Amino acid sequence: MRNREIPKGLRDLLPDEMKTRRRLEQKAAQLFTSFGYEEVVTPTFEFLEVVEAGGNMREKLFLFMDREGGILSLRPEMTVSIARLAATHLQDEKLPRRLYYSTNVFRHVQPHLAQYREFWQTGIELLGASGPLADAEVISLAVKIMREFGLDNFMVSLNQIGIFNSLLDDSAIQAEDKDLIRKLMEKKDLVGLSRTLEKLPISDLLKETIALLPTLHGGLEVLNRLPYIEKSQNAVQAAEELMKIYAALQNMGVEKQILVDMGVLRGLDYYTGVVFEGFSPDLGYGLLGGGRYDRLLSQFGFPCPATGFALGMDRLTLVLKNQEKELPRYLVGGSNLQAMVQKADELRTEGKIVELDVEGLSRDALAEKLAGRAHYTLVYLDAE
Amino acid sequence: MQDNCLTIALSKGTLLHPTVGLLNLAELPSEGIVSESRNMVFDFPGNPQIKYIICRPTDVPAYVEHGAADLGFVGKDVIVEQGKDVFEMVDLEYGYCRFVVAVPAEMKDISLKDLNYKRVATKFPHTAECFFRQQGLQVEVIKLHGNIELAPLMGLSDVIVDIVSSGRTLRENNLVELVSIMDSTTRLIGNRVSYRTKYAIIQPLLEKIQGLVKGE
Repeated sequence: MRNREIPKGLRDLLPDEMKTRRRLEQKAAQLFTSFGYEEVVTPTFEFLEVVEAGGNMREKLFLFMDREGGILSLRPEMTVSIARLAATHLQDEKLPRRLYYSTNVFRHVQPHLAQYREFWQTGIELLGASGPLADAEVISLAVKIMREFGLDNFMVSLNQIGIFNSLLDDSAIQAEDKDLIRKLMEKKDLVGLSRTLEKLPISDLLKETIALLPTLHGGLEVLNRLPYIEKSQNAVQAAEELMKIYAALQNMGVEKQILVDMGVLRGLDYYTGVVFEGFSPDLGYGLLGGGRYDRLLSQFGFPCPATGFALGMDRLTLVLKNQEKELPRYLVGGSNLQAMVQKADELRTEGKIVELDVEGLSRDALAEKLAGRAHYTLVYLDAE
Repeated sequence: MQDNCLTIALSKGTLLHPTVGLLNLAELPSEGIVSESRNMVFDFPGNPQIKYIICRPTDVPAYVEHGAADLGFVGKDVIVEQGKDVFEMVDLEYGYCRFVVAVPAEMKDISLKDLNYKRVATKFPHTAECFFRQQGLQVEVIKLHGNIELAPLMGLSDVIVDIVSSGRTLRENNLVELVSIMDSTTRLIGNRVSYRTKYAIIQPLLEKIQGLVKGE
């Protein structure tokens, strides 16, 4: 029966899952609001030109045309849309501005568990503030929200992609090879990476350093394990910035959940500084990701530094499911509708969840219906 | 997923024997792991606790991608074909084979360009299609599950894309190698998140195996 099918990679969300997700979204909204973030909503689809300002990911976009001949794309993520929103509406406002969102996004990916073509993101963007403190605020919120969700074994991995980019840019590597190295790093293909490096006319020390990057993981001390870094002024600067962010995170009391991982690059082209990912041993996929993107807003004519992250709500829901308590419910039945409605409303004003028997059943029939459903209480009002 | 337990997926078949040899050298437990065993799971308590899953080579990347196994030993041919999101850690240099385009002996002087819109039988449709597309050629790919060399003999396809190691099967079936697409050897792969959450166990093991391969 084709009329019961849904397109590949999409899914229905049933009450059990929605309860968990809404609980998480509410917690996030509460926390973000208390830090001064305000909710925004952007259109579900944008012009392709807008989406592509964030980099080329055309094979992952759902594209269609409007009747005026414009090419439209379902939003593949929110950061680009918020950058456009800021350029359109916030140029004359006092900065920094703190925004949050909670919405669905669409990507044409190979679907599997915890990866769908329509998925839900809740996230924040801190616009108009450069410098390590802004990054630290955003990263600390990532840690705080995960704690708030009740995750205790998660970690957030930080990197400063300026380290990797400067090492590449300050060397004599051709643009083509740089792209290849970047791709291999993102894929964590150590074998391909060392093969590619072998063939390049660069110093052995630089080769060794680049090959080491994807496996460097730990506390700040990993920055001392980059033999080549001193040769690149920009890389040193990037590493120093990472240290400042780490120090700020210590002051914010979240450093226990922070790791430095030189292998974190994030796939998106627009990141310019610190990048980070959150993960938990309970799921083989990342739970959140973000970073600094200081050049994205200028794509829309509004040069403005920015940093933020997004939570993968489908994945978090998967990790945190089955923790919902079944709330007590009342079923009000009887033969006098007026009395039933009155009773039901009374209970509702006490904050109870009350269902009205809309089938007109007898006391016995209702009792039978509720057999084995312990969270239900039957209230049956006799005619008198 | 316990933090002090490492699950490793091993490819059964020809790769199993050299893999077990490598496990021994890396001082990981491996008693009783043989292809003929009917056991599919081997559990070695200890610190860390090691659990092996013995499965078809083509299933190893799936176990690792989804985190059902933290690490896996599998051929590059399988990794390339499946394009799964796994962390490719070490080239173990055994289990050598290569992807080739092979044609019936009477077509041996044909050039690759003449294969436009021909039919290609293969167990590796993704690899085959990518290769021909990169060459600017369109082909019709027919996915088979084994004995690919039969396809041109029976007129099912014009050419085949298959993996060969010595080339004997090709010769026996009167086929010749036209082009080599890529070389393949066994790789140690890892789950991305496991690599981070079990870094303390995986990284020393990774370095040990890298050292063994380099002959240190």
